[in-house]
Amino acid sequence: MSDQGVTMPRAVLSGLRRHEWLGLAAVLVLGIVAMAATQPAFLSTYNIYIMLTAFSLSVLIALSQMVILAIGQLNLSVGGLGGLAAVIFAGAMDVLGLPVPLAILAGLAVGLLGGLINGIVTWRTGLNAFIVTLATLSIFKGVNIGLTEAQPFYGIAEPVKWFGNARLGALPALLLVSGPVVILTGVILARTMFGRHLLAVGGNQQAAALSGVGVGRIIVLAHVASGGLAAMAGMLAVARLQLGQPTIGDDWLIVSFAAPVIGGAVLAGGHVSVIGTCLGVAIITLINNALVLLRVDPFAVQLLLGFLILFAVGLGRVRSGR
Amino acid sequence: MTEQSSGREPVLAIDGATKRFPGVLALDHAGIDLHPGSIHALLGENGAGKSTLIKIITGVHGADEGEMRLDGAPAAFQNPRDSIHAGIAAVHQERNLVPRLSVAENILLERMHTRFGLIDYAALNREAARIMATLGLDIDPRRPVRDLSVAQMQLVEIAKGLSVDARVLLLDEPTASITPHETGTLFRLLRDLRDEGVAIMFVSHKLEEVLDLCDTVTVLRDGQNACRSEPMQGLGRAELVQYMIGRKETFVTGRQRKPQGAPLLELNDVSTDLGHHGISFDLRPGETVGLYGLVGAGRTELAHAIVGAARITGGSLRIDGEEERPRDIGHTLRQHRIGYVSEDRKGEGLVLMHSIRTNIAVTIWQRIAGRLGWLTPATEKRAVLPFVEKLEIRAPSVDQPVGLLSGGNQQKVSVAKWLAAEARLLIIDEPTVGVDIQTKAYLHELIHDLVEQGTAVLLISSDMPEMLALADRIVVMHEFTVTGEVPNDGSSGEVSGAIMRCIHAEGEEVA
Repeated sequence: MSDQGVTMPRAVLSGLRRHEWLGLAAVLVLGIVAMAATQPAFLSTYNIYIMLTAFSLSVLIALSQMVILAIGQLNLSVGGLGGLAAVIFAGAMDVLGLPVPLAILAGLAVGLLGGLINGIVTWRTGLNAFIVTLATLSIFKGVNIGLTEAQPFYGIAEPVKWFGNARLGALPALLLVSGPVVILTGVILARTMFGRHLLAVGGNQQAAALSGVGVGRIIVLAHVASGGLAAMAGMLAVARLQLGQPTIGDDWLIVSFAAPVIGGAVLAGGHVSVIGTCLGVAIITLINNALVLLRVDPFAVQLLLGFLILFAVGLGRVRSGR
Repeated sequence: MTEQSSGREPVLAIDGATKRFPGVLALDHAGIDLHPGSIHALLGENGAGKSTLIKIITGVHGADEGEMRLDGAPAAFQNPRDSIHAGIAAVHQERNLVPRLSVAENILLERMHTRFGLIDYAALNREAARIMATLGLDIDPRRPVRDLSVAQMQLVEIAKGLSVDARVLLLDEPTASITPHETGTLFRLLRDLRDEGVAIMFVSHKLEEVLDLCDTVTVLRDGQNACRSEPMQGLGRAELVQYMIGRKETFVTGRQRKPQGAPLLELNDVSTDLGHHGISFDLRPGETVGLYGLVGAGRTELAHAIVGAARITGGSLRIDGEEERPRDIGHTLRQHRIGYVSEDRKGEGLVLMHSIRTNIAVTIWQRIAGRLGWLTPATEKRAVLPFVEKLEIRAPSVDQPVGLLSGGNQQKVSVAKWLAAEARLLIIDEPTVGVDIQTKAYLHELIHDLVEQGTAVLLISSDMPEMLALADRIVVMHEFTVTGEVPNDGSSGEVSGAIMRCIHAEGEEVA
C-alpha cells in the first residue's frame, strides 16, 4: 500500500469499476441486435411488451435485494415476503372486500413490517442476516400457506386486473410503478444522506460507527426498504397474474441476487449500482426471452442463470482487485 | 540454514531493477546488495519504491528489467513459494494473519505438527510458545488472533517471520506499532541472527532505530538509488534525510503554551466494562495530553469509552463540567464535537473503497444535507475541498478511492474529516504509524497549530520522540489504569525516565 507503484493496477481497475455499466450496456445492445437479426418475432410489439412486463417485476425484486447488498448483508426472504404481501393484497380484496387503495396499503404494510422484523432481529441479535432471513423466509411462507391453504385468491378487483394487462403499444402500465421506484431508489442512493449512510455502513461498519453514523438505524431502515420493494413486486405480480397465487415469490431468489451482482454490487457491501442492476435485470430478461423464442427447454434457463451468477461474481472479484 | 562466508560476497544482489506500472515508473534501475551477517537498512519516502523492491525479492512481482543474483548465480522468482524455498523470509507491512485461527496456528501455519494425520495441538502450542519466548512475547498461543491488539498482531507477525530459519530476512516496518520495550527485544534478536550469519533487510521510517541497528544502508528516491549499500558508519540522521527527500529536514520544536479556561474533559476514577479502573485526568482547550503506555495498557480502549463505543461503569466523566455517560457515538461526536482518529485506519478509520470526498464528508453529512436529506456530490465537494487543500492531500481528484492513497495521505483524510466536523476535542490514536518523514512532520505541525487555535488534543502514541514533541503533559497508563502523570518540560531524558518509572513501578507491584 505504501508504494504508489503497487497501487497503480488497482487504479486502472477502479476506472473500469466507475464505468462498469458501459460494458453491460454493450452486452445488452449486442444481445438485442443478435436477436433482432435472427428472430423476426423478437421485435414484435407484443414480444417487447412481454419483456418489459417481466422487467418491471424483476427490477423491483432486484432492488429489494440490492439495498441489503449495499449494507453488506444478504436477504433470502425477498421472495417469501413479496409472496406474503401478494396474498395479503389479494385476500384483502377477495375475502375482506376492501377497496383497492386499502388493499395496497395492507400489502405494503406487510412488506414494511416484515422488513422491520428482519432489520431489528439482525441488528439486535447480531446474527448473520443470512440466517435471520432464512428463518423469516420460512415464517413468511408458513403464514402465506396458512392463510391461503395453498389456494389462490381469485377475487381480484377489476381495476387491478385492468392495470395488470393495460399497455400502450409495447409499454406495460406496470412500468408506471417500477419506473418511478427505480428512479427514486437511484436518487436516494446517489443524492441523499440516507444513501451515503447505507453505503458507508456497508463499506466499513466500524468506521461508519466511529464517524457518528447510527449504524443500527441504517440497518433496520435498509431492511424496511427491502421489504417495501418486495411487497410492491408481489402486488405487481398479482396484477399481472390476475390472481393471488400463493406461489408468488418462490422463484425470485436467483434473479434477486443475479441482477445486482451482474450490475456490479460488491457482495461485501459498500458498492451497488442502480443502473447496473437495471441492466442486469434487462440482460436476464433478454436471456429468458431468447431461450423462449429459440424454444430451449426451461431447465436450460435455470442452468444458464446459475452460470451467469458464477460469472458475475467472478467478474466482481476481478473488479475488486483480487 | 546459515551460511558463513567471508562477508564479501552478497548472498542476494539486485542490479538495474526496473518495474513499470501503468502510468508510473516504480523502480528505475535500482540495486541493493545484502551480505550475510549484516543488517541492511532500506529507506525512502512513501512511493519511493521500497515495497516494490521487496515484492520483487519475495517473488510477488517480476521485474521488467534488471538482474537478481542469489549466491552469485542468476535467479528469478516466479511466485512467493520460490522465494521461500530459496531461504528468504519476509515480515510484511500488511498483516497476513488469519483472524479466527489461534496465535500458534498462525505462526506455524505451513508447518503444523501432525500425529496420525491430525494436528498435534500440544506440540504446536509448545513450539509457538518457544518461538514467542525468543521475542520476549508472552501471549497464550491458543488465543485467537482477532482478540489481540494491533501491536500484538504485529509481534505475532514478526514471530512468524522469525520462525522460519531463513538466510535472508526482510522486515518491512516491523516496529510501526510496537513499543520501545518490544522494539528493544526485537533488536537484540535481530543482532543475534546477524551474528549467526543471516542477511537482514530492515525497512523503517524511524531513523533513530535505523542508525542504532543497521550496518549498511540503501536509500531509494523516486525509484532510483539515492545511495546503494553504503556503510552506515559516518552517516547521521541529517545525511539520511537528505538522501531520502533530496534536501534538508525542517523540525517542529516544542512551544510553550498556557492552556486556558475550565477543563473540557475530566475523568475522575473512571472504570469501564472493558476493565479500566481508577482513570483520572483532565484536558483543557488549547492543550495536548499524551496517553503513553505499553501494548495492551488500554489506551485505545479508553478512547473508545470516551466517545461512547464502550460503557463507563463507574466514576465520573465530565464534558464542559457536565456529567456525561457517553452511550451513543453519534451523539457524543455531534453534541460535544469530539473526534476520534483511529489507530486502525483500514479497520475502523476509513471506508477504503469509497472516495476521499465521502470519507471526509461522513462527519458532516448531517450538517450539509438539505431538506429530506438531499445531498449531492457537488455539495460534499464544496464542503470538503478546503480541507483537502489545507492538508495537502495528494490525489488526482477527491473522487479517488482512499484505498489507492499512500498511508500518509490516508492519515490526512482521517484527520481531515474531524477538522471538517470542527472538533473541539480530538482524540488522535497513533497518528504517524506507517507515515513518511515529511508527512509526519506535517501532521505534527498540524496538531501544534490546532492546539494553538484552542483545540484540545488527547494523543495516544507509542513513539516517545513524538510524545515529547507534542504533549504538554503525559498521562502514563499500565494495565488499564493510570499510574502517573508527567509534565513535559522539554528535557527528553528526564521525562522519558519518569515515564518508564511510572510503568515499571506499577508493573512490579502487579507482577
